Amino acid sequence: MASAEHHDDHADHGIAHVATMKTLVATGTTLLFLTLLTVLATRVDFGANINLAVAMVIAVTKATLVVLFFMHLRYDRLFHTVVFVSALCAASLFVGFTLMDTSQYQHTNIWDPSAPPPAPVGWRPTG
Amino acid sequence: MSASDHDGHGHDDHGHGDDHGHGHAGQSRFIQHHYDDAKHQFDSGKFGIWLFLAQEVLFFSALFVAYVLYRVHHPEIYSYAHKWLDVKYGAINTAVLIFSSLTAAWAVRAAQLGQKKLLIACLATTIVCACTFLGIKYIEYHHKWKEQILFGKFFDPCVSPGGEELITRKNKCEGTKSTVQFDEAAGKPTAGCFEISKLDLDPDRVGIQADCQVSEVKISKGADGKEVEGASRPITNRCKDELVELLEKTESGGKVGHVATHETPKPAEEAQGQQFPCWRPSFQPFVCLDATDADKRLHGQGSKPTAGILVEYGDELERHDVKINATCKERPVTPPPSDVHADKTNTPEEGVKAVQPLHELTTHEEHELEALGPPPEHTGMFLTIYFAMTGLHGVHVLVGILVFIWLLFRAIRGDFTSDYFGPVDFSALYWHIVDLIWIFLFPLLYLIH
Repeated sequence: MASAEHHDDHADHGIAHVATMKTLVATGTTLLFLTLLTVLATRVDFGANINLAVAMVIAVTKATLVVLFFMHLRYDRLFHTVVFVSALCAASLFVGFTLMDTSQYQHTNIWDPSAPPPAPVGWRPTG
Repeated sequence: MSASDHDGHGHDDHGHGDDHGHGHAGQSRFIQHHYDDAKHQFDSGKFGIWLFLAQEVLFFSALFVAYVLYRVHHPEIYSYAHKWLDVKYGAINTAVLIFSSLTAAWAVRAAQLGQKKLLIACLATTIVCACTFLGIKYIEYHHKWKEQILFGKFFDPCVSPGGEELITRKNKCEGTKSTVQFDEAAGKPTAGCFEISKLDLDPDRVGIQADCQVSEVKISKGADGKEVEGASRPITNRCKDELVELLEKTESGGKVGHVATHETPKPAEEAQGQQFPCWRPSFQPFVCLDATDADKRLHGQGSKPTAGILVEYGDELERHDVKINATCKERPVTPPPSDVHADKTNTPEEGVKAVQPLHELTTHEEHELEALGPPPEHTGMFLTIYFAMTGLHGVHVLVGILVFIWLLFRAIRGDFTSDYFGPVDFSALYWHIVDLIWIFLFPLLYLIH
């Protein structure tokens, strides 16, 4: 077992990393500041897409801070990062693949029984 | 390490120092015997919780897919409907969750360092913050519930973004058509309920002649003597469009239209006369009259049109008399479609009357509402997604509260030591992922530009 001393940012008391108070408070403060920033950013009109991009960049930054410092991933085993990032990749695949063929069925997105979408054109199995 | 292999658990010897197989002497009694040591147990648990968190990401990603899909196809729904959400509440909740994340991470540190009192304080703060989050969520949900800004078929399109005003127009709001019964021979409207903005309040004039802008509707008590909730509302320009579903009144001579308390309007009730199921626009001022009354009024004998307000109590409708503060501006008669004698009532002499400016909208919000117009089609989809996402997230918060209460209980009992703090760490990780998801939900739902 390692020493029970915890020094600096890489304090380890033998079982797991101990976050310093400085890290925790700095992370929390930054997160609150970014929350304020993202609210204020909506007040400025950069155009819908840029506003969305700004909001998402801030959200991703916040999420990264939470994961790295609150969740200790920066000091954790690499394998945990692999697990988590894999899940994120899978999630983005879901979104990406869904968006790929959206033009194929947008009329059926919200099904209106009184105005059903036209039948698809082309060959259809018979019998 | 003890060499005694007395447990018979089918394991290789991992060295059990006591008779109960709970780890070494001097070690936390919660270190299970099938682990080498405290670190081994902690690492196993940590791996487990990270797998669970990965699963949580995938779990929520399904809802994010739904969100993105609808947003790509119907951006107009999102840019309209997010006005129903109050950024203030969303921002406060974000801050509350971030702070609770901080205290959760702090609790882990306290547990690692064996600071029992600090651990208890941090866990308690986290619980309080989580409850605050749910409390604010309750305020938001409750408001939407009251305003019928709900998911799926429970969404009532006849509402507007501030929640304070009513829209009730076009957008497939049933009962928003002003079907006026018109007597072609007499050239006058005969019976029914008119939205008050369409009706001249001057008893000398008949029917729909002026555009009256109702600026205020006050009602203090209902028929039962009880306060009528939410009845006093500012009415804006939004409400002045055609509004009232008109129901014919038949025989019943001379009586001013009268809305009796009744249940869901049925065609059979029409024969009973007396009843004008001017249903739907709750809190919408209306005026009822019939032909004979209009005639009398023309000669200064009839009663004034009765103004009333419809209040919905569940399935029931009640009409209450109200005090109406209205200003009218002149307007050429809008002849009902079936009217072939419109000119009769459209003479300039009759039309000119007290010209008043329309009720001026004052606040920025009201102007914004005006500019927005009625909600786009399928606006309810936004709310369905909103409730699904925040609802699932809310369930996670609820679970988090229960878990942290359990942690608090164990912390007070003194279970956690510097070599046994896994549950605190793992629960905190779960709590951080809940925070993480809210970090994305907040801009995606509340901060749409």
